[in-house]
Amino acid sequence: MIKTKNLYFDIAATTPLDLRVANHMHEINKDIYGNPSSIHQVGQKAHNIIERSRKKIAEILHCKQSEIYFTSGGSESNNIALRGVLSKGDHFITASYEHPAILEVAKYLEKNNIEVSYINPNSDGVINPEDIKKEIKSNTKLVSIMAVNNEIGTINPIEEISNICKNNKIYFHSDAVQYIGKREINLDTLNIDMLSLGAHKFYGPKGVGAIYIKSGIHINPFIFGGGQEKGIRPGTENPGLISGMCHALEIAMKDFKKNSAHIKNMETLFFKLLNETKINYKVNGNPRLDGMINITFFDYDGHSLLLNLDMKNIAISFGSACASGSAKASSALLSIGLQEEIANKTVRISIGKQITDKNIYFLIDTLKEIIQ
Amino acid sequence: MKNKETVLVAMSGGVDSAVALLKIIEMGYNAIGVTMKLWEYKNVGGNTLKENNCCAVESINNAKLVCERLGVPHYTIDFSEDFEKKVINNFVDEYLAGRTPNPCVRCNSYVKWDTFINQADKLGAKYIATGHYAIIEKNEKEYKIIRGRDKGKDQSYVLWGIPKETLSRTILPLGKLTKKEVRQIATENKFENAQAPESMEICFIPDNNYKRFINEYAQDKVKKISKKGVTLNEDGEKIGENDGFINYTVGQRKGIGLTNPEPLYVKEISSDKNSIIVSQKKSLFSKKCKVSNINWLNNKIELPLEAFAQIRYNGQISETKISDNKGSIFATFDKPQLAITPGQSIVFYDNNETLLGGGIIELHKS
Repeated sequence: MIKTKNLYFDIAATTPLDLRVANHMHEINKDIYGNPSSIHQVGQKAHNIIERSRKKIAEILHCKQSEIYFTSGGSESNNIALRGVLSKGDHFITASYEHPAILEVAKYLEKNNIEVSYINPNSDGVINPEDIKKEIKSNTKLVSIMAVNNEIGTINPIEEISNICKNNKIYFHSDAVQYIGKREINLDTLNIDMLSLGAHKFYGPKGVGAIYIKSGIHINPFIFGGGQEKGIRPGTENPGLISGMCHALEIAMKDFKKNSAHIKNMETLFFKLLNETKINYKVNGNPRLDGMINITFFDYDGHSLLLNLDMKNIAISFGSACASGSAKASSALLSIGLQEEIANKTVRISIGKQITDKNIYFLIDTLKEIIQ
Repeated sequence: MKNKETVLVAMSGGVDSAVALLKIIEMGYNAIGVTMKLWEYKNVGGNTLKENNCCAVESINNAKLVCERLGVPHYTIDFSEDFEKKVINNFVDEYLAGRTPNPCVRCNSYVKWDTFINQADKLGAKYIATGHYAIIEKNEKEYKIIRGRDKGKDQSYVLWGIPKETLSRTILPLGKLTKKEVRQIATENKFENAQAPESMEICFIPDNNYKRFINEYAQDKVKKISKKGVTLNEDGEKIGENDGFINYTVGQRKGIGLTNPEPLYVKEISSDKNSIIVSQKKSLFSKKCKVSNINWLNNKIELPLEAFAQIRYNGQISETKISDNKGSIFATFDKPQLAITPGQSIVFYDNNETLLGGGIIELHKS
């Protein structure tokens, strides 16, 4: 799938585009040029591709077609959820280690007289549902907790949290960008009111995502325009991207068992080989998604490790990246109680479906060369 | 790749460092481009639309484009904490003490070289390289810095404070080129920034407005300073009032606000008394100054020493005797110098244009 010389262990940042998805999108981009809102047949073709995708995605997630809205990606979906339901005087509960697309919105909401409570994860990197219960007040309107943390890879007890919210008549939103495509989900049996997803985390294209909004929830839009996506996200839709996302999700769920078993095997091999070295390490977070390895190498600076691996064409991740390409110790790690000195020695190695045994051997050999 | 020494090339995003990188590759080294991120635009204000300053995201992006074009990796390293502590805060303190600091010298001396060498060690690089116009040569057993061949562009003046032990690991590939040649090389190689304008400002004050910067960055400290200062003549008599000492630098003529048959210049600034002493031009000349923070780049320095001194960037040189008086270093000029400015650098050369060392100018009352 990847034809470059790079070994890519940064699947949590983004995935390579599945070749089948790339070809599928290319076909659509070549032939389908109509505006989905146009009345004529050229427009209808584009429109039907989008609606067919919506139907398919709804089937996979076990929800209604009318509950899926297409967006530009996870960040936009998160903005729609939070800004769409919260207004002045409301109380909002979220986690202190959410993605910036939640935390920065929360900061903005605070400036607009919305009260925000930030729940800290425990030292394993997981949100305790009891901590949410304690924060609920009479004006609590929304809780938003990510399904999988993007830096530590820990899985949150979303079902339990969603039940607490339902019992207290509070909306529950989950940023499931790191979860969708890697695990199965049934929105029909879960008390989730809103859920964000982004195609580029499951081998789909960048720049497209969706939000699930349960029927009956009123959303105040913040983008205004031609009324597309029922006015929640206006703007001419991109059939190639939307259909590409749908195709990627289909493939991800069809191959789900095979891929997760493979990733689990690769992770097992990674630790088996790592334990044969003298490298001093510790894995953070529990329970976590297979293949998402947040790991502290006690004898090596994380940023330098990233650069040294990159010079050997191995891509991993360190800390919170910023626009200029520099990085600081991850705030998520500090939130689970890691000292800054330890956080600075911690990197994220994330394994995707394209990784082979040979790749793992090469990674370990290179780590040995650099660290030992 | 095999067995080639690695050089970490400091990339500002400008044309000089781009050509420096090209030269390093042409010399046969394995290169890595590194941009030091020294400050956050949002913290220092000013004209954020300006693009040709290093540390702006656009400049870092330019550095990345050049590196990719030349097939080498590029990394951005965040040194903003160190830079703020050692350079920006010092700049503010010096300015508010009525002195005229040179933050580029301070950065080279206390941040840039040390951190680049440190980073080179982490990345397994033997050498560092920058786009400064100066030459480093090995003579007998010692490395020395010589003025750049392009006399109008020579930057040895800002290098006097770099740690001597780093010279053997530093390559300055542009020292024997002129700026014109560098631009030509950049044009021939189709570098995007080949014709980018020179940036002459202090990097963290992109609009070149020191007053705005100090007022915004050090609000609390500025608040404590009275908006009204006194203007004194050379005999210490009050001859007027002014807007406060922070608005003046030594040698300044404009904005003194007094009418006098002969033009008046700022001769001295006192932050304690919030006063400026003004005088006619002829009293601004003096023959001697004290030198602090001395850094010698040559092992064989013995005082007293006859040398050539330069007291401002691109300034004239003058024959000077450097002497040690009970632990204090003094420079005595053959010809009186105009507006010797406390806080600026005094840099010493021998007659072959080799940089001997330098220091910071301190007030000396004869």
